[in-house]
Amino acid sequence: MRAVRGVSFEVRRGEKVGIVGESGSGKSALALSILRLIAPPGEVVGGQVWLNDRDLMRLREREMAHVRGSEIALIFQDPMTALDPVMTIGAQIVESIRKHRPDVSRKEARDRAIELLRDVEVPLAERRIDDYPHQLSGGMRQRVVIAIALANDPPLLIADEPTTALDVTTQAQVLDVLERAVEERGAAVILITHNLGIVADFCDSVKVMYAGRLVEQATPTDLFRSPIHPYSEALLRSIPDPARLEQGPLPTIPGAPPSLANLPAGCAFEPRCPLGRGVAICKNTAPPVIPIGQGVAECHFAEERWADNETMRKEAAADDRS
Amino acid sequence: MTAVDHMPSHDDDKTTQPGLRGDAGESLLWVRDLVKSFQIRSSAGFWRHEQLALRAVDHVSFDIKAGETFGLVGESGCGKSTLARCILRLLESDSGDIIFDGADLRTLSRDDMRAYRRRMQIVFQDPYASLDPRMSIGETVEEPLRVHGIGDQTEREARVDEVLSLVGITGDQRTRKPHAFSGGQRQRIGIARALILYPELVVLDEPVSALDVSIQAQVLNLLRDLQQRLNLTYLFIVHDLAIAEYFCDRLAVLYLGAVMEMADRETLFHNPLHPYTVALLSAVPTPDPAAGRRGKRIALSGEVNPLSTREGGCRFRSRCPIGKDRPLCRAEEPPLTQLQPGHWVSCHYPGELAPR
Amino acid sequence: MISFLRMRLAGALATIFGASLISFILLRVLPGDPVRLIAGPLASEQALEGVRRQLGIDLPLPVQYARYIGGFVTGDWGFSFTAGGPVREVFASRIAATAELALFAFVIAFTAALILALLATYRRNRIIDGFVRVISTFGLGTPQFWLAMILLIVFFEQLNLFPGPSGRLDASTLAPPRVTGLLTVDSLLAGRWDAFSQAIEHLILPALSLGFVPFAFLVRLLRANLLEMSREPFIVVVRSKGIGYWATHTRHVLPNAFLPTLTASGLILAELLTGSVLVEKVFAWPGIGALVVDSILRQDYAVVQSFILLTAVLYVGVSFLVDMLYGVIDPRTRNPVSQRG
Repeated sequence: MRAVRGVSFEVRRGEKVGIVGESGSGKSALALSILRLIAPPGEVVGGQVWLNDRDLMRLREREMAHVRGSEIALIFQDPMTALDPVMTIGAQIVESIRKHRPDVSRKEARDRAIELLRDVEVPLAERRIDDYPHQLSGGMRQRVVIAIALANDPPLLIADEPTTALDVTTQAQVLDVLERAVEERGAAVILITHNLGIVADFCDSVKVMYAGRLVEQATPTDLFRSPIHPYSEALLRSIPDPARLEQGPLPTIPGAPPSLANLPAGCAFEPRCPLGRGVAICKNTAPPVIPIGQGVAECHFAEERWADNETMRKEAAADDRS
Repeated sequence: MTAVDHMPSHDDDKTTQPGLRGDAGESLLWVRDLVKSFQIRSSAGFWRHEQLALRAVDHVSFDIKAGETFGLVGESGCGKSTLARCILRLLESDSGDIIFDGADLRTLSRDDMRAYRRRMQIVFQDPYASLDPRMSIGETVEEPLRVHGIGDQTEREARVDEVLSLVGITGDQRTRKPHAFSGGQRQRIGIARALILYPELVVLDEPVSALDVSIQAQVLNLLRDLQQRLNLTYLFIVHDLAIAEYFCDRLAVLYLGAVMEMADRETLFHNPLHPYTVALLSAVPTPDPAAGRRGKRIALSGEVNPLSTREGGCRFRSRCPIGKDRPLCRAEEPPLTQLQPGHWVSCHYPGELAPR
Repeated sequence: MISFLRMRLAGALATIFGASLISFILLRVLPGDPVRLIAGPLASEQALEGVRRQLGIDLPLPVQYARYIGGFVTGDWGFSFTAGGPVREVFASRIAATAELALFAFVIAFTAALILALLATYRRNRIIDGFVRVISTFGLGTPQFWLAMILLIVFFEQLNLFPGPSGRLDASTLAPPRVTGLLTVDSLLAGRWDAFSQAIEHLILPALSLGFVPFAFLVRLLRANLLEMSREPFIVVVRSKGIGYWATHTRHVLPNAFLPTLTASGLILAELLTGSVLVEKVFAWPGIGALVVDSILRQDYAVVQSFILLTAVLYVGVSFLVDMLYGVIDPRTRNPVSQRG
């Protein structure tokens, strides 16, 4: 069963990339694949991950361990389970620092850890550093997880649903902290989420994932104004919008995502697609990657739809200028 | 014990109590002055600790009219789930009245309560945890009928089929176990179980929070459709404000067990008067890159701290963008006051913090 | 915490009281007459009466019970007619032998279980894991006396690597002066290396036979906990920091997996400390186990009652210690509430 199938994209220095998808779309598997942390019996069966000029998939495990935490760091989705419950948060930050810079003394590493906790706005950092995870709230724990990820100033951060378990106000705080931290450090972020609002808020570019593939890659403005892939469009339309309350029920996507063990021969979205269902080419041929505007889409109708949306985009651009 | 009694006197002027207006006769459910406290242990170290009583529900009053959807919103720890469980008497409350169709549920005996329990049902948040994995879904849905001793085997089966088809599950699937169903389908089964007794009031405790966006829409449509067809009244507990705005007719915003603001949807989302509501709304990221929400966000400092109710004054004060240092906010808990018809606010300076 | 201690203490006292009451009643309703055993089949009714009075079993039951409890608390545990001495002295002379064997068996079982479980779960090593699973299944089904015999036949009779069933030291070796009663410790204190190495040699086979079942149990428990913990989300986070497999396994997986085994370890230690009849018999070990069996057969009330009561005290003490240990080493028990005002 392939959770991630033929995914290609690039992240530029300092870019904030959003990957959107529903559960089972393979977005978390993608994050762990980049870090080569897929738990057995899962494995990455092919592909390349280039970080600057090295292919991470071809590194030896020792070299890869050096990349993790110092060049790519992970911000894990559930802050309640992301920290070792029997180790102080300070020790967990120090462990990360000293792994990659053994020459740093314990004292220096501790001072640096306090500084990091201050950076992510943990109040009374010099006292909190000796706390255990269970003594902190969910929002505070997620800040600690972010502090650990930032410990070695990695150029790339992968944040897997970093705010899903948090309340809106805490979510807003944590996103602010993350945004400030990456901007000060010039780090790039891959933000994986199911929340389209966060993507619109936070990201410079968006990738929509469906059944293990990136079916559309675009700027947030293009995606939200004029989605090309019918799945992106359906996903956007199913967000509850009080403005269209009077227009009857919410548009939904019929059916369920395909089982990854048993994918259709053509487009994976074909059986649910309002445009392509039953269309021969959609049923039989997997759609190619079609460059569209500043992004790409994997849909047989992509060029047609892009042309249809041209006027809408122009109007929107005019709106933005005014 | 928190000894601060911050509500205005409760007995002399009943018209200051939401839910006890002149037209309260239409209400299916009134909740008046409901209080529920929990004992918690706070430790000052390994050897020392003290017992604290914290009010998870603190003099809450509201009413729900028949056929209406009433939303309870607020951050985790605001007491919305505790409040719902008190109403269903899954938890016993300390004081107050819960009047359902004219009967005060708090004073009913266990036997008398059974009859009312059939008329009030709950749908839980987690579609994975709330179904017994060893029972077929048919048995799960049928169970309340057996518990209440309703009908014979054939009648019960007919009713199970009827309710399952209402939620979009076909009859031939009834012998399957929950693991054969997706999250959205399980939530439908949970809804079927709640509907099997033909209740009037359904408490929806975060029914779509665990579901994906596209499945969320399906379940919300189903709930709305069922409400119209079966004339259901919903008490909808939700933390996602976009869903709250889409789905609820009237809402109460809870903070640390007390109502901060209560109004109909239009008013609450377009003319919020309590700084907490304003901040909460501003924190929701909208799926529109042009909205530029980030600049408009009103950041709340700090976190929900249950101990802040013990300091007296307004419970929201420590995080309030406008009241943090004001003497009045420190000295007095603002009463829940009706500022416009149907719009209740508990703030000394309502409307001062305007939505940007 | 204080109220927790108070609750625990009340619970402990209740347990001990219950155990004392049950043992007292059971021994008295069981068929058989110890007086007849002591005085002999031909004794006159008068002589029997005399023995009864001497043993205090002519008194009403509640009075007997009160005297028994009172005596126990003040250190008068009664008189063992089979051993011909006060029960306390009889126990004292034998408890050290049992304790030394138990501690030795425990250390072997625990260390072996820890090492094997760690290796078996480290990167899911299939060969070691298979071996561990087979040996633990085997261990849980092995009768102690059978293992003891096999070990004796192989390592004493055939290979002659270890001494035979001759107690704690060779007969020709003089015991070191008694300080703790543990021969290994006493011989070290006295600087007697010969006695020390001999004491160890004598301990090995009985400790192996005694420790095998607890080892099998512990290795199984630890393996399961280690596997469970290695699947915890925080392990992914640790690995994402660049921490290597082995360091993750020992520094993060192990401490978390170890905590839930603490209770089981405590109970195993308590069980070992109450002595093993069969192993002590096979190795002619002068411990508690053999004494208790003899006393039961001869209806030596005083010894059996005291033994049951001591066992209850031991279990209660050990589980109390384990709880205290959790308080010291598990931060979640140490500081339970997060609020700092």
